[in-house]
Amino acid sequence: MSELVLQHGCAKGGEPYVPQVCRVIDVRDQTHDVKTIRVQTPEGGLPFERKPGQLAMVSLPPYGECMFAIASQGPDYLEFVIKRVGFVTERLHELRPGDEVGVRGPYGNWFPFDSARGRNLVFVAGGIGMPPVRSFIEYALEHRADYGRIDIVYSASTYDDLVYKDDLFQNWPKEPDTHVHVSVYHATDGDGWSGKVGYTAPYLKEVFAEEGLATDNAAAVLCGGPSLYRTCREALLELGFDPADVVTTLEARMKCGVGKCGRCNVGGVFICLDGPVFTEAELARIPR
Amino acid sequence: MIISKDNMGALADAIGATQTVYVPGTERAATRFVAHKKGEPVVLGGANVRMPPKDLLFPATEKMYRWKKHEGQLSLETEAAAHEPFTVLGVRPCDMASVAKLDLVFLTKGFVDEFYQARRDAATFVAVTCVDPDGDCFCEAMGVRLDAAPAADVLLVDRGGAYEAKPQTEKGEAAVAAWAEALGAGADAAAGDAVEAHCTLNPAAAKAEERLRAEDFDNVWHSVADYCLTCGTCTFECPTCYCFDISQDVRADEGARFRCWDSCMFTQYTLMAGNHNPRADRASRVRQRFMHKLRYFADRYGEGLCVGCGRCIRDCPAGVDIAAIIDAVATAPEHELTEAARTVQADEAKKEAAHV
Repeated sequence: MSELVLQHGCAKGGEPYVPQVCRVIDVRDQTHDVKTIRVQTPEGGLPFERKPGQLAMVSLPPYGECMFAIASQGPDYLEFVIKRVGFVTERLHELRPGDEVGVRGPYGNWFPFDSARGRNLVFVAGGIGMPPVRSFIEYALEHRADYGRIDIVYSASTYDDLVYKDDLFQNWPKEPDTHVHVSVYHATDGDGWSGKVGYTAPYLKEVFAEEGLATDNAAAVLCGGPSLYRTCREALLELGFDPADVVTTLEARMKCGVGKCGRCNVGGVFICLDGPVFTEAELARIPR
Repeated sequence: MIISKDNMGALADAIGATQTVYVPGTERAATRFVAHKKGEPVVLGGANVRMPPKDLLFPATEKMYRWKKHEGQLSLETEAAAHEPFTVLGVRPCDMASVAKLDLVFLTKGFVDEFYQARRDAATFVAVTCVDPDGDCFCEAMGVRLDAAPAADVLLVDRGGAYEAKPQTEKGEAAVAAWAEALGAGADAAAGDAVEAHCTLNPAAAKAEERLRAEDFDNVWHSVADYCLTCGTCTFECPTCYCFDISQDVRADEGARFRCWDSCMFTQYTLMAGNHNPRADRASRVRQRFMHKLRYFADRYGEGLCVGCGRCIRDCPAGVDIAAIIDAVATAPEHELTEAARTVQADEAKKEAAHV
C-alpha cells in the first residue's frame, strides 16, 4: 500500500478576486434547509474544471460571497449543495433558474483519489459535511474498479436533514461492493425513519464490528461539524487507522480564497490555499 | 552622490515634477507619508512616522471590482489597472523590511495580487538609514540593520549634515541619475562619517521563536488577554499586518466590492455562519496575533513577521508590549510541550529509528 499523497498550495494563477458571471440553471430542494444549485457560464459551458474536494467562491451581489466545496461537476455545470445558515445562504436559497451569480475558483487542493487507488474507502460524514465528501464518492464510483470495498457512514440530526437521500437509499447501495450505513440523532414517530438512531462515532465503531471491517489497506475520509469531527477522528484512530490514512476537509471563514486575507490561517498554513484537505498526520503537526 | 539635508525639499520638488512623491509629514492628526507639496521643507530625521507606508501599496480600503444588475443580468468590471509611478522618500529600514514581507504575502505562493502588484511596480522606495531609534524600537533583534535597507531602490546614508544616495536597483540607478541632473551642484555636498546608531531594546527573538515552536505558552496569552482590549490599534499601525476583509458598497442595482484592512483581534474576524467561532475568546486571538508574528509566518515564508518598529508598543492603550512578550517567552521556565510539538518529535524519532 503506497502512502496517501496530498498536494498543498496547488491552486495557482487566474484572476484571484474578480468572479466570472454564471447563470443558475437548476435549483432543487434537498431538505427543508438545503438546496442544490447548478450554475454554468452564460454561454452554457462549464465555468472551470475542478478536482474532487476543491472549493469555489459563490458571489451574490449585493449580499456578499461565500466559499463552498464544489459538490459535483457535470459536463457543462458546477453543482453546489448549500445549507441555509446565514445572511448570504438565505439569499442564495431565493435563486431561481436564469438568475445570475458570480463564481470564482477553483481554490484549494483535492482528495487523494490517485494515491488512494487500490484501497478500501471508508467515508464518514455528518449533516452538510456530506457534499464535499460526496465529490470523492462520486469519483470513486465512476472509477469503481480502481478501489476496493466502499463503506459510507452518514448521519444527520433527523431524517429530514439527510442530504442526497436518492443516493443513500437507492443509487449507492446498488453499486458493487458499496455499503451505506445511515443513522440519525433524533427520531420521532412518523418521521419516515426506521433505521439506526445514534451518534456517528459510536455508530461508526458498531459498523466496523458488525461488518468485520479492517483498517489495513483502507483510507478514511471524514467531514462534519466540530463535535462530529472530534469524536469520529478519535473513533477512527481507536479503530486502528494510521493518522496518515485519515483525510479530512476543513472549513473556516474565508474572504480571499488565495491565501492572503489571513482569516483561515492555522499555524503555517492557509486552509483555502494549502487545504482544505489534510491528513490527520499533517494536522497533528499543526498547532491547534 | 551626496545631498545636503537642507536640500531634501529641493530633491522632493525635483522628483515631484514628474510624479507624486510621498514624504514624512502630518495629515489627519497623525504623522505618516503625505504627498509632498512643492516648496515645502522635507525633514527625514527625528521620530519615525506614526503610520507605516503600507497604505501606499495596500490602501486601507481599495475597490476591487464594480458590479451592475440590469434586467436580471449581472455584469462585473475589474478595478485592477496599472498605477501611476510614485516615489516614497525617507522610509526607515524597519518599514522597508516590512515592504519585503508584504511582497512575500501578496506576490508569492501561487497567486499574485494584481492590485498590490500594480502599486508595487509603480513605486520607487528611497530609504534612509536610521539614526534616531526610539526607546521602543527593537528592529535589530528582528534581523533589521539601522544602516541598511536591502529592499529599497535607493538608500540615503546619513553622513551628518548630508545624505549619500546609494542606488540599489535598476530603478534606483535611474532615479539617482535623474536627481543628479535636477540638483546640479546640490548633489555634491560635503560629507561626514556615516552616523551609527543602535536600538536600546534587544528582546531575544530567536530564542522566543524556537520555544514557541515547541512549548505551550497559554499562560502568557491568558495574562496578556486580561488587559488587551482587542481594539486592533496594533494591527492597523503595524507595517506588516496585512489581513483584510472583502465587503461591498451598494447603490440600488449597482455597487462595488472593496477590500479593507481587518484585524485578527476582532471577534467577527473568524466568526462563521451558524455561529461557530474557532477564536471566540480573547486569549486565542492574542495568541494568534503573536504566534503569527513570531512563528507562523516564519513557518510559511522562512522569516518572522515583526520588524521591531515599536509602533504597537508606543500606541497600545493597554500597554501590550511585544518586546516584553518576546522576552517573557524566551526566559520563562520550561513549559509543557504542545501536542503538535510532541507529534513532530515522535515523527522525527520514528524517522531516525527507520534510518538506523
